[in-house]
Amino acid sequence: MPSKLQLHLAKVFLKIFLRDRQSIFFSLFFPIIFMTVFAFANNGEVDPIELGIVNNSPSAVANDFSQMLIDNPLFEVTLGEEEQLRAELVEGNQTMVLILPEGFDAQSDGAELQLLVDAAQVQQLSLIMPLLEQTLISIEREFRNIEPMFTLTVEDVQARSQRYLDFLLPGLLAFTLMQLSIAGSGFNIVEYRRKGILKRLFVTPIRPRDFIASIVMARMAIVLIQLTVLILVAVLVLNVTIVGNFVSFYFIVMLGTFIFLCLGFCLGSIAKTQQAVMAVGNIVIFPQIFLSGVFYPIESMPELIQPIAKILPLSFVSTAMREIANNGASLLSIAPSLFGIALWFVIAFILATRLFVWKEVAN
Amino acid sequence: MPIIEVKNLAKKYPLPDKKSEFFYAVDGISLSIEAGEIFGILGPNGAGKTTTLEMLEGLNDIDSGTAFIDGIDVAADPYSVKEIIGVQLQANEYFDNVSLSELLTLFATLYAREVDTDELLGRVNLLDKAQAKPDNLSGGQKQRFSIACALVNTPKVLFLDEPTTGLDPQAKHNLWDLVRELNNAGMTIVLTTHNMEEAESLCERIAIMDHGKLVAEDTPQNLILKHAPEPPQAPLHGNIEDVFLALTGHGLRD
Repeated sequence: MPSKLQLHLAKVFLKIFLRDRQSIFFSLFFPIIFMTVFAFANNGEVDPIELGIVNNSPSAVANDFSQMLIDNPLFEVTLGEEEQLRAELVEGNQTMVLILPEGFDAQSDGAELQLLVDAAQVQQLSLIMPLLEQTLISIEREFRNIEPMFTLTVEDVQARSQRYLDFLLPGLLAFTLMQLSIAGSGFNIVEYRRKGILKRLFVTPIRPRDFIASIVMARMAIVLIQLTVLILVAVLVLNVTIVGNFVSFYFIVMLGTFIFLCLGFCLGSIAKTQQAVMAVGNIVIFPQIFLSGVFYPIESMPELIQPIAKILPLSFVSTAMREIANNGASLLSIAPSLFGIALWFVIAFILATRLFVWKEVAN
Repeated sequence: MPIIEVKNLAKKYPLPDKKSEFFYAVDGISLSIEAGEIFGILGPNGAGKTTTLEMLEGLNDIDSGTAFIDGIDVAADPYSVKEIIGVQLQANEYFDNVSLSELLTLFATLYAREVDTDELLGRVNLLDKAQAKPDNLSGGQKQRFSIACALVNTPKVLFLDEPTTGLDPQAKHNLWDLVRELNNAGMTIVLTTHNMEEAESLCERIAIMDHGKLVAEDTPQNLILKHAPEPPQAPLHGNIEDVFLALTGHGLRD
């Protein structure tokens, strides 16, 4: 049970944080902006391809063919004259221009369609060619009355739509909790030492464990409040889906917070100046931003890096949070991540208690 | 009866350029400070004054020698010593965004005590600043607030490390009055200073330190009789401070 002293000091730390409007704003600002940008930039649909069609054939087949392309949501079709559409292609207003020859009709035998492309957009060609061919084949079938031999039905085994934002949210929350925790212990300790506050506390009967316990409690509360605000924004405003159990989710959040608070205490004990703690802090924070699957899956990284990436503390935390939030995993089913978290928990705790020596840290 | 007893106290540090060799910041100091005394420690910068205080306060390890405060061995039982001393350090910054009365309540909680913050702030003349943040205080106010923080546990011994450095004469005299008041109520006060006038008018006994050693220890009068050179034939009467105070008055400026 926390003592009266620990609770009081924790309350003071919490008050200090809540009165610092600027840092609250910035710690919420970045993740919210980030999510919002992705919510609007990546709403699950591919931008339609701008396709110009020059129809030189008076036949019904050519008309139907054009209509099928117009109806296809993948294309944004403009019908027009060749000269005008060519000009638009050069200006970049069209991605490609399709020219239906005069002899394009039901009787045609291998009529040649011409596709004009912008060299800069060639990459998309490999995507578009099969689509055009597919459309041609289905039109051919229709006119020749051939039944297709195969049909392909796609079934989503995840049985729910997963947007990038759904993937991103748990990672972003893990990242935010790491930042808040390391700043809360490491950066603050260096600041308190610089101001002589640690020294002043040291001449009172407060024990190091009281000081550490109150920082841990206050930061825990701060992280939980901040993450809850972010989750509310994500779910209510940006329609992010979280399918998992919130109790398990917050359990992982608290374990993660504890790990990074301990690592922060280590940093604050080693680094003596604000510049040093920033530098050492970045060594800890930076690789984890890129390697811990916060913004994209670890599996998409080079094979060589994956084994290293997987054992970083933030990897275990963000993976566990994502499994719960995205897939509704139970604590039992994420045992490997939990094991990693437990291991880091022990390592960070031992390191912090070894390195944080009151007398040395205070002076 | 002495409340602070120090015997052969020493503190050594490795030399900055030769780590294998040591120099003594405090080199065998012995002191005996009576209960109810105002005791001043004088000395040039680097003489070891602050290090001596820090060893008594438990901030610094004692390398050799012994120190007892109110019969408690500082090295063996630092937490009991912390309960009965009040400390004002040279650095007097506090947490941001916390008001004076909140800080006093916090400090009292560290001693598991309740404190009447208004009464305490009133004693150091800061009652109107109860809701202010330490950042918004002037130098003199900050020092008085530091002393208020050091009083939350009604200590038997109050340590003041250069309490008047950087204060204007009004603030300085005001602080001296406060120290005398506390002393009259029975508190033992140990202070370091560079201000000779402070040592002379405030302290009942003075220790002068240099190079980590004690070079003299006595009442101000005796020290003057023993060590001061003969006065010149026609001494000037008064000093610049008298002039300054005559021109600007004794009113406190904050």
